[in-house]
Amino acid sequence: MMNLILLGMNHKTAPLDLRERLSISCEGADHPLREIIKIPGLDGVFYLSTCNRVEVLAQTTQARDAQAGLQEFILRHGNLSREELVRCLYVHEGQEAVRHLFRVTSSLDSLVMGEPQIVGQVKDAYRQAVETGTTGIILNKVMHYAFRVAKRVRTETGLAANAVSVSFAAVELAKKIFGGLQGKTVLLIGAGEMSELAARHLINYGAAQILIANRTPVRAEQMAQEFHGRTVPMDRIEEALGEVDIVISSTGASGYVITAGMVAAALRRRKSRLLFLIDIAVPRDIDPAAGAMENVFLYNIDNLQDIVDENVRGRMQEAQKAEAIISEEVSRFNRWYNTLAVVPTIVSFKDKAEGILRAELDRSSAWMQHLTQEDRDNIEILAGSIVNKILHDPIISLKEESQDYDAIPYVAALRRLFKLEDE
Amino acid sequence: MDLLFFNLALAAYLISTLGYIASLLVGRVQIAKASTWILFSGFALHAAFYLAQLIMTHTLSIRNFYETLSFFALILCGIYLILQLKTKTRVLGAFISPVAFLLMVGASVGVEGPVSMPDTLKGSLVTLHVALSIAGEALFALASCAGAMYLIQNRLIKEKSIGSFSRLLPSLKELDNINHISLLWGFPLLTLGVIAGSIWARTVWGSHWQWDPKQIWTLAAWLLYAILLHQRLALGWKGRRVALFSLLAFLALLAGFILEKAFFATAHKFM
Repeated sequence: MMNLILLGMNHKTAPLDLRERLSISCEGADHPLREIIKIPGLDGVFYLSTCNRVEVLAQTTQARDAQAGLQEFILRHGNLSREELVRCLYVHEGQEAVRHLFRVTSSLDSLVMGEPQIVGQVKDAYRQAVETGTTGIILNKVMHYAFRVAKRVRTETGLAANAVSVSFAAVELAKKIFGGLQGKTVLLIGAGEMSELAARHLINYGAAQILIANRTPVRAEQMAQEFHGRTVPMDRIEEALGEVDIVISSTGASGYVITAGMVAAALRRRKSRLLFLIDIAVPRDIDPAAGAMENVFLYNIDNLQDIVDENVRGRMQEAQKAEAIISEEVSRFNRWYNTLAVVPTIVSFKDKAEGILRAELDRSSAWMQHLTQEDRDNIEILAGSIVNKILHDPIISLKEESQDYDAIPYVAALRRLFKLEDE
Repeated sequence: MDLLFFNLALAAYLISTLGYIASLLVGRVQIAKASTWILFSGFALHAAFYLAQLIMTHTLSIRNFYETLSFFALILCGIYLILQLKTKTRVLGAFISPVAFLLMVGASVGVEGPVSMPDTLKGSLVTLHVALSIAGEALFALASCAGAMYLIQNRLIKEKSIGSFSRLLPSLKELDNINHISLLWGFPLLTLGVIAGSIWARTVWGSHWQWDPKQIWTLAAWLLYAILLHQRLALGWKGRRVALFSLLAFLALLAGFILEKAFFATAHKFM
């Protein structure tokens, strides 16, 4: 039986205010790790808290005590009732705990499936645990497995491939048109939250310059400073259209801010350069007729939302592939875990020594030719008894250790020192 | 022995084609990468086939339709591999590799390897003429291929059907680049090929120009490409218009090739 236990609550099981209460209270005086590790029966602990989840993974030889202790800890900090605890908290043991950890790290359990931040968050949490000194051999191994699983899921499935937010969909479209965003100029019309987000993504992907046009010049000035861009007066938009590559419009205007005529005039000055218009305003800012013009690509908020919906459906399918990878890795981890048992380790320890003995005797057989058969037999007996004497104490100690204490650190050290690792 | 390299190259093209198809089906980049290397080894074997000929007979055997196909495949792969280094549009390999394979299958019907040439076709000028012209035309083929892909991708983005097919295609910018590079190299190569041919025609037939249907058609196509390149370089034509133009120009070139082969007697028939 694998001695790992995982308790947690996430966006599916617990409401936001409860998760909030728990995570804030936990962060309170000291790092929660220091408090959790004091719970009797725990040999190691990993604690993860994000806006969507609180998870505690613990290594223990006394699962019952540990679970009770951890539940007590959560009850106290979350200030919740027994009934709430039962409803919101999930408990996984052994392989299921490992599976849950893998699913979380691979972003299968995320609110937005496939979102990339969670791996970083898990890594940070793990670093904390290592620095606080609450991880042992098993936790270290399971965490490294988790990161490998996350990497496999990212590279072998399309789980994180396509944008599932409107602003990322815009970035992907821009890449499809321009190849990359390096050196591209973006015109923001209207200073809404959504256009700001989209602009931020475009800059992250290499957009060179941001121009900002806004009804209130003060706000435009603010944003220009924030993005290191420059402002454009609203009545000079037509001119700006001749220069820029991407336009994001999100004003509250009731009529068209960019008319088909303005685009047509700009096209004459642009030669054949491509123009990507993104209209995220309702009612629309850009005359749909502009989208029919050559070298112009016009997307409105509904078009972008359709892409997002389509991609979300695609992720659902990819998730099945990811689950298969996770199952594979869980059983792989399980195999590794089983090698930590005392008896197989002793067997492979003996095998290794026996192998070395055989190989050395074979190598020496050439110069032993001139000896009599009896001498050769004696040398073999001597060598064998030296090996046995050397093996004797470690094997006896290991057997004793396994009766009194948790033998895993010794087994792991032995496997590592004598290179008995099979993975 | 003579066709050993040819057959090995044919096999390599088949394997790389299957590899590309598998990589598209499974969605693994590693398989596509391996396929690129296999395509490269196919190209190397194919080049070795011609190199061996050149060493043995001091001339390239590109006399008939089938041998033209084989040489065309060689050039196409070579150009793609260079482009792969420059533009990293691996998906293009999935289009080029099967084309090369099919060309080679067609070629295998009539490729004979090194044979003695008729006297008029001896000499390095003929080899140069054929090699340069085919290289130029292969580049135009690539330009039209990129053009067709551009038109499809342009259409898909305009119609907002950003499905899995659109994802397979490179970005508009990359396709435009490939088109640009192909035209930029293809035009001077074809020009030099035509010049080499006319110099040689003078030494054999006494005149640079014979009013041969193939000559007329090639000149017409050459003019089309000259116009296209001028528009592109001088007037800044880009994108859809160039893509469409280069596709149509290549179709015209192809139509000429087929028509002239079917209906006219030409000085270019050496079969």
